[in-house]
Amino acid sequence: MSKAGPSVITPGNASPPPQQSLHRRSIRQVWFTPKSNELIPKFWLWLGLLIMAVFTLAPFIYLFTSSISDTPDLLGGRLFPAHPTLYNYVRLLTGNGAGDYLASVRNSVEVAVMTTVISMVIGTLAAYAFARFRFPLRMTMLFGILAMQILPSISIIVPLYITMRNGLSIPIPFTHAFLLHTGSLLDSVWSLIIAYTSFSIPFVVWLLSGYFQTIPRELEESAFVDGCGRWRAMMRVILPLSVPGLAATAIFTLLNAWDEFVIANAFTQTYASKTLPIAIAEFIGKHGMDWGLMTAGGFIGSLPPVIIAMFLYRYIVSGLTVGGVKG
Amino acid sequence: MRSPRMAQKKKDMWFALLLIVPTALVLVRVFIVPIYQSAVWSLYHYDLLDGSTTRFVGLQNYVDALKSAAFWLATKRTFYFAVLTVVVELLLGFFIALLINQKFRGRTFFRAIIIIPWAMLTLVNGLLWDWIYQPGFGALTVVLHALHILPKTDNPVWLATSSHIMNFVAVADIWKMTPFMSLILLAGLQAIPEELYEAAAMDGAGFWTKLWHVTIPQLMPSIMVAVVLRIMGAFRVYDILTVFTGDPNTSLSYLTFNNAFRYFYFGKASALAWLSTLFILVLITLYIRMLKRNMEAN
Repeated sequence: MSKAGPSVITPGNASPPPQQSLHRRSIRQVWFTPKSNELIPKFWLWLGLLIMAVFTLAPFIYLFTSSISDTPDLLGGRLFPAHPTLYNYVRLLTGNGAGDYLASVRNSVEVAVMTTVISMVIGTLAAYAFARFRFPLRMTMLFGILAMQILPSISIIVPLYITMRNGLSIPIPFTHAFLLHTGSLLDSVWSLIIAYTSFSIPFVVWLLSGYFQTIPRELEESAFVDGCGRWRAMMRVILPLSVPGLAATAIFTLLNAWDEFVIANAFTQTYASKTLPIAIAEFIGKHGMDWGLMTAGGFIGSLPPVIIAMFLYRYIVSGLTVGGVKG
Repeated sequence: MRSPRMAQKKKDMWFALLLIVPTALVLVRVFIVPIYQSAVWSLYHYDLLDGSTTRFVGLQNYVDALKSAAFWLATKRTFYFAVLTVVVELLLGFFIALLINQKFRGRTFFRAIIIIPWAMLTLVNGLLWDWIYQPGFGALTVVLHALHILPKTDNPVWLATSSHIMNFVAVADIWKMTPFMSLILLAGLQAIPEELYEAAAMDGAGFWTKLWHVTIPQLMPSIMVAVVLRIMGAFRVYDILTVFTGDPNTSLSYLTFNNAFRYFYFGKASALAWLSTLFILVLITLYIRMLKRNMEAN
């Protein structure tokens, strides 16, 4: 890539080139001279793409080829198995620890889906309010929410742990009564769902309020003329038009909840609530790593987010644009 | 005079408030209250295994942390890791974004594959690289042997020295997060009008001139935001470290987590959490300033 510079020298047009070299020059022009509105000449573009594809795909393919290798191949340092086998997957899904692994998959699905649904519902409402109404402290609250979105979970993990251990309660002020009091939430998926929801709501509010602002007010106003109230206008007009934004936000929330490790590592003790990353981390046994199980389990665990991201990357890019850069 | 307009405005205010209430409840209960508690506990001797005796100790936890070698070692390594990964990710991510921004056949395919590392589970990313670094049969050694870069007789234990571990962790992080950087920068690149390149080409500008005088200035807001976001990301590094090493001194978040959930020193851990939060708060302030400036520019 660093040699791209010198190759871009435009061929001198001092003298008309002899017929013979015309062919050579055209190759040179096609491959080494960029079009006026482009940046990179074709040759360097494809060289760069090739390097990029190897850099990106090689480790991922290695994860897969390892997962279909038997133990002698794994420990013999073969990058591609001599005898491809599904042995590791069979062991993972039907062997000794299979129940635990499957339980962790179920927990992960539950946690990710519930977190996404709850934070989307709650966050969308607030995002709409921030986007459409002017009220005191609006900007301060928005930037406060943004700060919460960025704060690492480690900064509140200790009090959150105590909260989960003691159970979540909402006291009624000035009385000893409780509006809501759950028992200890440790070791249940709810501790994770609540924690992740609190981390993703700021994200949802921030991203979607930016998105809602891009939808012209006139559309709502015409709904008012048709006799819709605020609520109906929001449901019938704004939300359907915001599907790309909603999708981007939901994908991010889902992937984050699927990926989270720090909080899950602290809050879950048994397979009643362990999520996939925790279960996979436990393949690091006391007697060394079971690489076959790890690669198979890791490949399966990574497949859903990878597939979602590959098919919906358009939404992800637009989500990043709205949320990360433009605010 | 009380106009219907005023009444509508008042109604709207109540409606807005109603919409915000659920979010406010969650954030206050699960964010603001914990942050406050964490600040309070950082001033206490609070040891969960020690009969839960809590005792006010003032700034003692902070003083202890600032005096301990572990804290400074973790801070140094966290900073080292953040600078190294962000610089490399920015350079790589920038060039990748340039590549996939240009029009060519199969662009969709290349844009889709770069997202794979980013989408993979972070923990699996750590394990995968740990697997690659395994002495003897790991891919790194095997490939280096095959390319004759490393003599067959030489079989290094890559993760043996803890001072080098951060470099290996950085490679894993760079592999995973460069795509994220590329995607943010790609979004920025798409906003640059083609005419600017055409005009530069008319003036006889080559690749580097175009890059320096057109692309980079135009892309600056995106670059700044991406860099700040990645620095904050690098500060949280935890997953990969738990896989690579049992050494809690490798990063601030690892050190904090260990104090909290291995030793259950909740007071100390809260103080540590607040110290690293202070670093991040500086960055958050910077980030918010940049966003505000971007918003005003639009």
